[in-house]
Amino acid sequence: MWSEALNLFREYMGTGLLTVWFVLSLAYLWVREKDESVRILFVYMPVVVLLLYFNPLFAELVFRMAEEEIYYRILWLLPVTLVNAYTVLHIFGQAWGRQTAGGKKARLKKGFACGGAVLGMGAVLAVSGSYVYSNPNFVKAQNFYHVPDSVVHICDAIVVPGREVMAVFPLELVQYVRQYTPLVCMPYGREMMVERWNYDSDLCTAMEAEEVDMEELAALVRQEDCHFCILRADKVILGDPKDYGWILVDEIDGYVIYRDPARELTVPGRK
Amino acid sequence: MAVQLLILALFLLVVPVLAGSIFARTDRGSGSLLFRWVSGQFLLWMGFQLICVPLILRERSFGNVSALFLGYTAALALLASAAEIRRLARGASLPAWSLGRFFRGRQPVEAALWLLFWGLFLFQMVQAVRLAYADGDDAYYVAVSVLTEESGTMYQRIPYTGLTTGLDTRHSLAPFPLWISFLSRVSGMRTVSVAQVVLPLVLIAMAYAVFGLLGRRLFPEKGWKLPLFMLFVELGVIFGDYSIYTVENFMIARSRQGKAALGSIVLPFLFLVLLGLLKKLQEKEKIPPSMYLLLGAAAVSACLCSTLGALIVCMGVGIVGILGAVSYKRPGVLAPMALSCLPCVCYALLYLFLEG
Repeated sequence: MWSEALNLFREYMGTGLLTVWFVLSLAYLWVREKDESVRILFVYMPVVVLLLYFNPLFAELVFRMAEEEIYYRILWLLPVTLVNAYTVLHIFGQAWGRQTAGGKKARLKKGFACGGAVLGMGAVLAVSGSYVYSNPNFVKAQNFYHVPDSVVHICDAIVVPGREVMAVFPLELVQYVRQYTPLVCMPYGREMMVERWNYDSDLCTAMEAEEVDMEELAALVRQEDCHFCILRADKVILGDPKDYGWILVDEIDGYVIYRDPARELTVPGRK
Repeated sequence: MAVQLLILALFLLVVPVLAGSIFARTDRGSGSLLFRWVSGQFLLWMGFQLICVPLILRERSFGNVSALFLGYTAALALLASAAEIRRLARGASLPAWSLGRFFRGRQPVEAALWLLFWGLFLFQMVQAVRLAYADGDDAYYVAVSVLTEESGTMYQRIPYTGLTTGLDTRHSLAPFPLWISFLSRVSGMRTVSVAQVVLPLVLIAMAYAVFGLLGRRLFPEKGWKLPLFMLFVELGVIFGDYSIYTVENFMIARSRQGKAALGSIVLPFLFLVLLGLLKKLQEKEKIPPSMYLLLGAAAVSACLCSTLGALIVCMGVGIVGILGAVSYKRPGVLAPMALSCLPCVCYALLYLFLEG
């Protein structure tokens, strides 16, 4: 338990630099903060939280109740950003409040020195962290739904108003499909992308194979009752989909949509 | 689209501000628009959780939840409006905010710091619309919102695939995605747009509102300290991506997920209420019952956001409560604080019972 908690803590810290600033801030506030209410919230509480977090008995209790991988959320009780910001202000508040001998020129000099120090401290905090928008998971949104355009276009092409359709998609699209529309169901979804969940699907394996074997794929698609099969346009296919009764519906944004007419697709209210 | 946005503004801005007037006399600064907005939203979240979970467990339709919550929202808004009108009749003034008044009388350094803060804030708002964050968990949470709004069933289908399943009790105790479904249903906007575009704007702004209220409590005097504090908080958020687990990462990248709201709004708000409570203990003032109600609202909202929220809030309240009671020799404060955590204990027990 303790080692798992420690591993999660290491992962939570990232490079660890901001945590170092946080610990230094705690130490500074422990010595210099006079307001007891702030001491309780910004010093004593984080210390108690850390003691509890690393307590093997407490960890075991939480691990039993919840998933191990979310234990790190206990660390959200450490107000890292707030404590770091408050400490910087505390330091400069004290420096600014000190009496300066001399006239206006000396005060101006002190103002510039403090301003420079604040900028320096800001730069140190920025360099210690990581710019959130440089995260590779951020991409320019293609539409007002924040899902790829290809998903929007494919779903619009296959959706039948008033009923659900079953379609199998390449893995890179599965996590977006049902965010855009619940009318498109899938034989497998995002669960296939998380290795530690150990999900397995023959259809997924057949879809993601370097060369798609049509005979195998057609049988699996039929077995899963899919109305549509969406394949990457550049996918190497062994066999001709038409030989298996598939109808080419459209080619959109680098994906080919096939309809397997073996599964009936009646529109409610239409004969 | 304009009408949909106006309806969303009504439910996410106007109604919470109205509802929050109930807490207008709870603490120093609690009459401000920001405090009313945030505390009102917590009251609404509390109501949603209390209405939603029993109906999910009884496998009722989402239409029932929607109608009941709409009734609760309307009743709260009417009650709060009546109370506000009574206060105005007694000579109280309405809280107001204007850009001119905000900058009037400020020193140049202070005004420049505020300008810098607002500039960076605006940048984050633009980025929230301009950039999409590819997060696998959205395939669950956003899909739950979309599915619920469309099908009317709650946690009875696998969101990844759409296939029917038994009631998902684990996730159903924290139905934050269903609140998104509600917003989509009342506004008529597509659920995915509400979740991915509109809510990040509102929830990131709300997180900064809570930080601002905390800053105002820590630096009550007018001057350069509050804007500089806010700037450093902003720096911490913008450069807070040092790991994928940080609150700051969740706040900017995954704001539509309940756990992000827990870390970036509910817990900072809990700190704000606890700080106010500690200050009252320090100044030997009487603690108004509305403060405990706020604690309770934060606790129930934490349960709405994440099942682990119950434990985290109980830990926070418990630790600060015991430290405050010992430091200020006021053990009497512990009982009402424990009472405000009671809903969390009930949800935790329910979770253990259902998952057991």
